[in-house]
Amino acid sequence: MIDSESHAADAADDSVLLALRDVVKVYDSGEVPFTALRDVNLHVHSGEFVGLIGKSGSGKTTLINMITGIDRPTSGTVEVAGTPVHALNENQLAIWRGRTIGVVFQFFQLLPTLTVIENVMLPMDFCNVYDPLERPERAMHLIEQVEMADQAHKLPAALSGGQQQRVAIARALANDPPIIAADEPTGNLDSKTADAVFHLFEKLVDEHKTIVMVTHDNDMAARVRRALHVADGEIVEERVHRPRTVRADTFVDGPAR
Amino acid sequence: MITPRWRKVFRDLSSHRFRTLLVVLSIAVGIFSIIVVLGGRGILMREFETVFGDSRPPTATMHVDIADDSVIDAVSRYPGVEAAEGRRSVPLRFTVGTPEADVPSSGWSTAQVWAVCDFEGQSVRRFTPEDVVSWPPKTGEILLEQSARTVGDYRIGDVLTVESPSGKRARLRVAGFAHDINAFPATFVAMSTGFISMETLAMFDEPCEYNTIALLAEDPSITRPQASRLAANVRDDVVAARGVRVMQTNVPEPGSHFLGDIFKAVSLLLLALGVMALLLSGFLVVTTVQALMSQQVKQVGIMKAVGGRASQITWMYLAMVLIYGVLAVAVGLPSGIVAGRWFTEYGAGLLNFRITSYAPPVYVSLLGAAVGLAVPLAAAIIPVRLGTRMPVVRALTATGITAARFGHGLVDRVLGLLRGLPRPVALSLRNTFLRKGRLALTLTTLVMASAVVMSVLTVRSSILATVDEVDVWQFDAQFYLARTENGPRALREAARSRGVATAEGMLDYPATLKRQDGTEGEGVSVIGLPPDTPFVAPQLEQGRWLEAGDTSALVVNADILKEEPEFALGSTVTLSILGIEEDWQVVGVVSGGMMGPVAFAPIGHMDAILQAGGGINRVFVTTEHHHATAQEQAARELERRFEDAGIPVAATQTQIEQRDTIASQLGILVTFLAIMAVLLALVGVIGLTGTMTINVMESTREIGVMRALGASHGAIYNIFITEGVVIAFMAWVLGAVLSWPASVALTGMLSSAMNLPLQYDFSWFGVGFWLVAVLFIAVLASLLPAFRASQVSVRDAIAYE
Repeated sequence: MIDSESHAADAADDSVLLALRDVVKVYDSGEVPFTALRDVNLHVHSGEFVGLIGKSGSGKTTLINMITGIDRPTSGTVEVAGTPVHALNENQLAIWRGRTIGVVFQFFQLLPTLTVIENVMLPMDFCNVYDPLERPERAMHLIEQVEMADQAHKLPAALSGGQQQRVAIARALANDPPIIAADEPTGNLDSKTADAVFHLFEKLVDEHKTIVMVTHDNDMAARVRRALHVADGEIVEERVHRPRTVRADTFVDGPAR
Repeated sequence: MITPRWRKVFRDLSSHRFRTLLVVLSIAVGIFSIIVVLGGRGILMREFETVFGDSRPPTATMHVDIADDSVIDAVSRYPGVEAAEGRRSVPLRFTVGTPEADVPSSGWSTAQVWAVCDFEGQSVRRFTPEDVVSWPPKTGEILLEQSARTVGDYRIGDVLTVESPSGKRARLRVAGFAHDINAFPATFVAMSTGFISMETLAMFDEPCEYNTIALLAEDPSITRPQASRLAANVRDDVVAARGVRVMQTNVPEPGSHFLGDIFKAVSLLLLALGVMALLLSGFLVVTTVQALMSQQVKQVGIMKAVGGRASQITWMYLAMVLIYGVLAVAVGLPSGIVAGRWFTEYGAGLLNFRITSYAPPVYVSLLGAAVGLAVPLAAAIIPVRLGTRMPVVRALTATGITAARFGHGLVDRVLGLLRGLPRPVALSLRNTFLRKGRLALTLTTLVMASAVVMSVLTVRSSILATVDEVDVWQFDAQFYLARTENGPRALREAARSRGVATAEGMLDYPATLKRQDGTEGEGVSVIGLPPDTPFVAPQLEQGRWLEAGDTSALVVNADILKEEPEFALGSTVTLSILGIEEDWQVVGVVSGGMMGPVAFAPIGHMDAILQAGGGINRVFVTTEHHHATAQEQAARELERRFEDAGIPVAATQTQIEQRDTIASQLGILVTFLAIMAVLLALVGVIGLTGTMTINVMESTREIGVMRALGASHGAIYNIFITEGVVIAFMAWVLGAVLSWPASVALTGMLSSAMNLPLQYDFSWFGVGFWLVAVLFIAVLASLLPAFRASQVSVRDAIAYE
């Protein structure tokens, strides 16, 4: 097991955006308790593109759920952007999550009865971010960024998987969160579409977003800056890749808040 | 601008049209049944009071030998009397058409005809024109009470040949129909009521003077003892003082109608079933909302994952439920009012009164709206809170609010042990018990509906058993003679008549209880009979029956005791029969028998005090054969014989006709009960359909897997229909068990409301009938969901969220 960066270094480094300390997660649902995470320590700096890599059942989804506050640690602490996530109640978590983290799921999870633009506006609506009159314009801008403008008024059922995932990414960006957490965002897509989606993430990193992405795809894992290999509930290996060349067609964020 | 989350609410409603329809229908049927049942009750009670009050029912009615206008004037001027009116009541027989003069009147219909002086200026016991060509009727015309139309096909313009008790005939034209709420509906007594002018009465050589005086007290809140005192004073100071003989004075309970007991029972029944409908619809709503929430759990998780707070999401779903409620009120309220209109019209028809306003009482509409809006909201709060407070990780992975897991618990283990069942049947059985919370709610609704339906059928069977039980008369035909006739001679004629096996004569006179304080009690019929008569077999409740050697012994029925406690066993009472006062000893009490207040006395003693000289005015016969036709033929034959022998008959009744008369009164209850049963069964059907549909929706992924494995349309149908049938069967078993105490309670309530001990008769027919019905319903309720299931494509099913 390795600690991804030491506590001392973490304390001294103001750019640490996300810190998990001694996180343990045990599930009691079966006949024998199952330990999904064992004493995980993880620190992510602002602007990093981190990949959590591992086989099915290794604990990578549980780990990202700790970061998003979707699940709670059995013990240990989770601090994101200075907020002790593990100490928040469900309601506080919802508000915090809406403003701080954009979540992207493997199966897109768009609400089937809302159109593309309505799905993107939904987080703004819940968190009351941006003036109500501004929201459609911002949502449209984000949809344009993911190249879905011509589908803005369609329902999710009319879109392909790749298109739905683009919309899900636009939705994750709705409240301009500093962190994007994506759980197997390309796992349900063909390789060409997966590449396009990954490209979107790269552009977001260029825009100083911090991305934590779960994947079991080795090709994708090779393209992230920092790849953390998860096995049996532990981070067993860390690889840091050299920074990419900044591309000319930099992804531009929507209108400022 | 509508924000996306509210758009989601509206979009969810419109995009899941079938689910919306089902939820709305579930709530609406509850509102509907409440409006129909409680609204119907409210309207009937209000309108009955209005119509009855407007008729100015008499405080007291005196039956006199003969009185003229001067007597009526004097009565109406008496202190405490607001109005008085004299009429002449004559029993007439009639037939439609113009038969030859020598055709005997046997088999003709009977009518109680009132000769009225002033149709426009009626001051007491008012009747109103309903459908008339002339008002008041001209000389030679008759108005029939509207309920006559239920026993005969009478039309305006029909010519009736009418015969008076003295045998005088005249032809009268039907000038129309009137409504008299104070008249016994023809349906109940197999006798019509008619109204003619005094001039028409003269056509029958009847004296144009009055034989009844109805008076109305000034004080609207007069009590019965005060009314009796007033009537006694009027009798002594005015009527008797003018030489008029008063045969009987009737003082009913002020404001009470003769159908009051039946009405009270109907009202109670409606109230009890209204409460049941309320409970049932509440359960239905809880089931539906819970199912709805379990379907939405994943979406709740997504919304929370993108920043939705529990309170925001809770309001979204409560708003959705509120919209369901508003739609359900919009459907249930007007349809309930329309059906309630039909229901009350029908009910009013049975009770023979007209409805002037069909508007349900405000409280019923408010209750209906509250059930539609508040009950779903209240029902939704717990499931919505459970759903919205569920941790996101569970919501995103759960299949429902209560994660369905099979294999835990005793029932699951027992089902798991069942071997040798075809795989689809085993699957259906296990699916049934998969979501135990939902199953419990659905079962509760269906068990309650089943218990009520089976209870209602038991009450019906008890009522019918009571009709048999209360029928104290053992005759095949009875004859009311127009006057007291020589007994041996009349019985001789009877013995010679074809088809008659045995015959017996009795004396039947109206009598009045003379109370110690000089007032008169309720009128009773005293029947003088041989103590060992085979024609009367009453159920003895207290004391003993008449014995040979009894003189002034009297056996009274329970109906007398209800009105006059002075007739208690062992007491001595003074009765006035034909103005002759005599003391009697009450030696026994028999059941009411739906005969009204009746007392039995030894015929010998009665003959002696009335100096009847062996006379009789009522003849009972048994016939050689007892079926309806034999009874009818023998009765007509004897009636003709009596006519030929110069023994005029006022009315004839066969045993089957008499039984029908009693049954028709209790039949009102049976009819109302049947309507209620259908309504509650409907709630059950919609509940089961809803559950089955939601089960199908939740099983979409499983259906896809089964289809991928090669399940045919038929196999999918079988699985869901079997599941519905299993639920229905369980509801039937539990409902049948529950229907026993429920029907005992319902029968008891009705018995006490009607003052008629109902003979409890558990309806095994009802249990069997409901088994067939509920299984049929289950198949029907599962068909549509099963059809939807069979249409699921593998691709859609696997992609189903």
